[in-house]
Amino acid sequence: MSNKHQMTRAAELESLPVFRDLIDAACKHHPGIDEQIRYDLKLAVEEACTNIIAHGYADMNPGSIILTLELEPQQVVMTITDFGHPFEPSEPPAPDVAAGLDDRPTGGFGLFFIYQTMDEVGYDTTEDGNRLTLIKRLPSAEEE
Amino acid sequence: MEITVKQLNQTSVVSMMGSMDALTADEVTRFLSAQIGTGQKQIVADLSQVDFVSSAGLRAILAALKESRQQGGDLRIAAAQPGVEKILKMSGFTSILKDYPTVDEAVTSFGS
Repeated sequence: MSNKHQMTRAAELESLPVFRDLIDAACKHHPGIDEQIRYDLKLAVEEACTNIIAHGYADMNPGSIILTLELEPQQVVMTITDFGHPFEPSEPPAPDVAAGLDDRPTGGFGLFFIYQTMDEVGYDTTEDGNRLTLIKRLPSAEEE
Repeated sequence: MEITVKQLNQTSVVSMMGSMDALTADEVTRFLSAQIGTGQKQIVADLSQVDFVSSAGLRAILAALKESRQQGGDLRIAAAQPGVEKILKMSGFTSILKDYPTVDEAVTSFGS
Protein backbone atom coordinates (compact mmCIF):
# COMPACT_ATOMS: atom_id res chain seq x y z
CA MET A 1 0.00 0.00 0.00
CA SER A 2 1.39 3.36 -0.96
CA ASN A 3 -0.06 6.76 -0.44
CA LYS A 4 1.31 9.36 -2.84
CA HIS A 5 1.08 13.15 -2.66
CA GLN A 6 2.57 15.74 -4.97
CA MET A 7 2.75 19.52 -4.94
CA THR A 8 4.40 22.04 -7.25
CA ARG A 9 5.18 25.53 -5.96
CA ALA A 10 7.30 28.49 -6.98
CA ALA A 11 10.86 28.39 -5.68
CA GLU A 12 10.35 31.14 -3.11
CA LEU A 13 10.47 31.27 0.67
CA GLU A 14 6.68 31.68 0.87
CA SER A 15 6.36 28.10 -0.40
CA LEU A 16 8.17 26.64 2.63
CA PRO A 17 5.19 26.64 5.05
CA VAL A 18 2.96 25.30 2.27
CA PHE A 19 5.23 22.27 1.83
CA ARG A 20 5.25 21.74 5.60
CA ASP A 21 1.46 21.85 5.67
CA LEU A 22 1.34 19.17 2.96
CA ILE A 23 3.62 16.92 5.01
CA ASP A 24 1.51 17.46 8.14
CA ALA A 25 -1.73 16.75 6.31
CA ALA A 26 -0.39 13.69 4.47
CA CYS A 27 1.21 12.10 7.54
CA LYS A 28 -1.45 12.84 10.11
CA HIS A 29 -3.23 9.51 9.84
CA HIS A 30 -0.26 7.27 9.10
CA PRO A 31 0.09 5.01 12.16
CA GLY A 32 3.89 4.74 11.93
CA ILE A 33 4.59 8.46 11.76
CA ASP A 34 4.71 10.26 15.08
CA GLU A 35 5.23 13.95 15.67
CA GLN A 36 9.03 13.62 15.83
CA ILE A 37 9.24 11.84 12.48
CA ARG A 38 6.98 14.47 10.97
CA TYR A 39 9.34 17.15 12.28
CA ASP A 40 12.30 15.36 10.69
CA LEU A 41 10.50 15.16 7.33
CA LYS A 42 9.57 18.84 7.45
CA LEU A 43 13.08 19.86 8.50
CA ALA A 44 14.77 17.94 5.67
CA VAL A 45 12.38 19.37 3.07
CA GLU A 46 12.75 22.87 4.44
CA GLU A 47 16.56 22.71 4.34
CA ALA A 48 16.63 21.22 0.85
CA CYS A 49 14.17 23.77 -0.54
CA THR A 50 15.98 26.67 1.12
CA ASN A 51 19.18 25.56 -0.63
CA ILE A 52 17.37 25.32 -3.98
CA ILE A 53 15.88 28.80 -3.54
CA ALA A 54 19.18 30.36 -2.44
CA HIS A 55 21.65 28.47 -4.65
CA GLY A 56 19.85 26.29 -7.21
CA TYR A 57 18.04 29.19 -8.82
CA ALA A 58 20.77 31.77 -8.10
CA ASP A 59 21.35 34.14 -11.04
CA MET A 60 18.38 32.85 -12.96
CA ASN A 61 14.63 33.32 -13.00
CA PRO A 62 13.17 31.37 -10.11
CA GLY A 63 11.42 28.28 -11.35
CA SER A 64 9.47 25.69 -9.51
CA ILE A 65 10.00 23.02 -6.89
CA ILE A 66 8.06 19.76 -7.03
CA LEU A 67 7.68 17.85 -3.79
CA THR A 68 6.53 14.25 -3.95
CA LEU A 69 5.73 12.29 -0.84
CA GLU A 70 5.20 8.53 -0.85
CA LEU A 71 4.03 7.02 2.40
CA GLU A 72 4.75 3.34 2.62
CA PRO A 73 4.26 1.08 5.63
CA GLN A 74 8.01 0.88 6.36
CA GLN A 75 9.32 4.17 5.03
CA VAL A 76 8.57 7.62 3.67
CA VAL A 77 10.15 8.49 0.32
CA MET A 78 10.29 12.17 -0.57
CA THR A 79 11.60 13.56 -3.84
CA ILE A 80 12.30 17.21 -4.46
CA THR A 81 12.74 18.23 -8.09
CA ASP A 82 14.01 21.58 -9.35
CA PHE A 83 15.25 22.95 -12.64
CA GLY A 84 18.04 25.21 -11.46
CA HIS A 85 21.78 24.72 -11.16
CA PRO A 86 22.59 21.16 -10.08
CA PHE A 87 23.97 20.81 -6.60
CA GLU A 88 24.90 17.36 -5.46
CA PRO A 89 24.83 17.23 -1.67
CA SER A 90 27.37 15.38 0.42
CA GLU A 91 27.41 14.77 4.11
CA PRO A 92 29.13 17.68 5.83
CA PRO A 93 31.02 17.49 9.10
CA ALA A 94 29.11 18.63 12.17
CA PRO A 95 29.11 22.42 12.26
CA ASP A 96 31.20 23.94 15.01
CA VAL A 97 28.57 26.00 16.72
CA ALA A 98 30.97 27.42 19.32
CA ALA A 99 33.24 28.73 16.56
CA GLY A 100 30.20 30.37 14.99
CA LEU A 101 29.72 32.28 18.21
CA ASP A 102 33.00 34.09 17.73
CA ASP A 103 33.92 34.96 14.23
CA ARG A 104 33.00 32.18 11.87
CA PRO A 105 29.97 32.44 9.62
CA THR A 106 27.00 30.71 11.19
CA GLY A 107 25.97 28.57 8.23
CA GLY A 108 26.46 24.88 7.62
CA PHE A 109 23.49 23.44 9.47
CA GLY A 110 21.16 22.81 6.53
CA LEU A 111 22.87 19.83 4.92
CA PHE A 112 23.91 18.57 8.34
CA PHE A 113 20.24 18.39 9.38
CA ILE A 114 19.24 16.60 6.18
CA TYR A 115 21.83 13.88 6.77
CA GLN A 116 21.08 13.67 10.50
CA THR A 117 17.34 13.20 10.03
CA MET A 118 17.15 11.05 6.87
CA ASP A 119 18.26 7.44 6.42
CA GLU A 120 19.11 7.79 2.73
CA VAL A 121 19.93 10.80 0.60
CA GLY A 122 20.20 10.43 -3.19
CA TYR A 123 20.63 12.86 -6.04
CA ASP A 124 20.48 12.73 -9.80
CA THR A 125 20.41 15.28 -12.59
CA THR A 126 18.75 14.56 -15.91
CA GLU A 127 17.12 16.64 -18.62
CA ASP A 128 13.98 16.38 -16.50
CA GLY A 129 15.59 18.33 -13.68
CA ASN A 130 17.57 17.79 -10.51
CA ARG A 131 16.03 15.26 -8.19
CA LEU A 132 16.88 14.88 -4.53
CA THR A 133 15.53 11.71 -2.94
CA LEU A 134 15.13 11.57 0.83
CA ILE A 135 14.17 8.36 2.58
CA LYS A 136 13.09 8.07 6.19
CA ARG A 137 12.56 4.58 7.54
CA LEU A 138 9.78 4.07 10.02
CA PRO A 139 10.07 2.08 13.21
CA SER A 140 8.72 -1.40 12.58
CA ALA A 141 5.74 -2.74 14.46
CA GLU A 142 7.99 -4.97 16.63
CA GLU A 143 10.05 -2.02 17.80
CA GLU A 144 7.05 0.04 18.81
CA MET B 1 5.44 34.89 13.09
CA GLU B 2 4.06 36.86 15.99
CA ILE B 3 6.50 38.21 18.55
CA THR B 4 5.64 39.80 21.88
CA VAL B 5 7.89 41.03 24.64
CA LYS B 6 7.40 41.64 28.34
CA GLN B 7 9.78 42.95 30.94
CA LEU B 8 10.38 41.01 34.13
CA ASN B 9 12.81 42.99 36.27
CA GLN B 10 15.93 43.36 34.14
CA THR B 11 14.99 40.58 31.75
CA SER B 12 13.07 40.76 28.46
CA VAL B 13 10.92 37.72 27.82
CA VAL B 14 10.49 37.50 24.07
CA SER B 15 7.68 35.13 23.13
CA MET B 16 7.54 33.91 19.57
CA MET B 17 4.56 32.21 17.99
CA GLY B 18 4.67 30.11 14.84
CA SER B 19 7.64 28.83 12.86
CA MET B 20 11.20 30.11 12.81
CA ASP B 21 12.20 29.23 9.27
CA ALA B 22 13.98 30.85 6.33
CA LEU B 23 10.87 32.95 5.75
CA THR B 24 10.67 34.41 9.27
CA ALA B 25 14.28 34.27 10.53
CA ASP B 26 15.12 37.83 9.43
CA GLU B 27 12.13 39.18 11.34
CA VAL B 28 13.31 37.35 14.49
CA THR B 29 16.87 38.64 14.02
CA ARG B 30 15.66 42.24 13.57
CA PHE B 31 13.36 42.04 16.60
CA LEU B 32 15.99 40.60 18.93
CA SER B 33 18.66 42.96 17.65
CA ALA B 34 16.36 45.94 18.28
CA GLN B 35 15.74 44.69 21.83
CA ILE B 36 19.45 44.35 22.51
CA GLY B 37 20.05 47.73 20.86
CA THR B 38 17.80 49.42 23.42
CA GLY B 39 19.90 48.02 26.25
CA GLN B 40 17.80 44.90 26.95
CA LYS B 41 20.70 42.51 26.98
CA GLN B 42 19.21 39.85 29.27
CA ILE B 43 16.84 37.96 27.04
CA VAL B 44 14.70 34.89 27.53
CA ALA B 45 13.49 33.45 24.22
CA ASP B 46 10.18 31.81 25.07
CA LEU B 47 9.75 29.06 22.47
CA SER B 48 6.67 27.45 24.02
CA GLN B 49 4.55 28.41 21.02
CA VAL B 50 7.16 27.78 18.35
CA ASP B 51 6.28 24.56 16.56
CA PHE B 52 9.14 24.50 14.06
CA VAL B 53 12.73 25.79 13.93
CA SER B 54 15.02 25.18 10.95
CA SER B 55 18.68 26.06 10.45
CA ALA B 56 17.65 29.60 9.51
CA GLY B 57 15.84 29.94 12.85
CA LEU B 58 18.89 28.65 14.69
CA ARG B 59 21.06 31.21 12.94
CA ALA B 60 18.72 33.95 14.18
CA ILE B 61 19.07 32.64 17.75
CA LEU B 62 22.85 32.37 17.38
CA ALA B 63 23.14 35.93 16.06
CA ALA B 64 21.15 37.30 19.01
CA LEU B 65 23.11 35.18 21.48
CA LYS B 66 26.34 36.59 20.12
CA GLU B 67 25.06 40.16 20.18
CA SER B 68 23.72 39.93 23.73
CA ARG B 69 26.96 38.46 25.02
CA GLN B 70 28.97 41.17 23.30
CA GLN B 71 26.92 43.64 25.36
CA GLY B 72 27.66 41.73 28.55
CA GLY B 73 24.27 40.01 28.66
CA ASP B 74 22.94 36.65 27.57
CA LEU B 75 20.13 34.99 25.67
CA ARG B 76 18.54 31.94 27.27
CA ILE B 77 16.03 29.55 25.79
CA ALA B 78 12.85 28.54 27.59
CA ALA B 79 10.13 25.94 27.07
CA ALA B 80 11.23 24.55 23.72
CA GLN B 81 8.84 21.91 22.34
CA PRO B 82 10.30 18.38 21.92
CA GLY B 83 10.99 18.69 18.16
CA VAL B 84 12.72 22.03 18.62
CA GLU B 85 14.64 20.75 21.63
CA LYS B 86 15.93 17.87 19.52
CA ILE B 87 17.45 20.14 16.89
CA LEU B 88 18.95 22.41 19.56
CA LYS B 89 20.74 19.30 20.86
CA MET B 90 21.58 17.91 17.41
CA SER B 91 23.24 21.16 16.39
CA GLY B 92 25.24 21.47 19.59
CA PHE B 93 23.39 24.62 20.68
CA THR B 94 22.66 23.19 24.10
CA SER B 95 26.40 23.18 24.83
CA ILE B 96 26.79 26.90 24.18
CA LEU B 97 23.54 28.33 25.49
CA LYS B 98 21.39 27.81 28.54
CA ASP B 99 18.12 26.06 27.95
CA TYR B 100 15.37 25.86 30.60
CA PRO B 101 12.12 23.86 30.72
CA THR B 102 10.06 26.91 31.74
CA VAL B 103 10.10 30.67 31.28
CA ASP B 104 10.10 31.18 35.07
CA GLU B 105 13.25 29.11 35.49
CA ALA B 106 14.97 30.97 32.67
CA VAL B 107 14.05 34.36 34.15
CA THR B 108 15.13 33.28 37.65
CA SER B 109 18.47 32.07 36.26
CA PHE B 110 19.44 35.69 35.59
CA GLY B 111 19.25 36.23 39.33
CA SER B 112 16.85 39.13 39.07
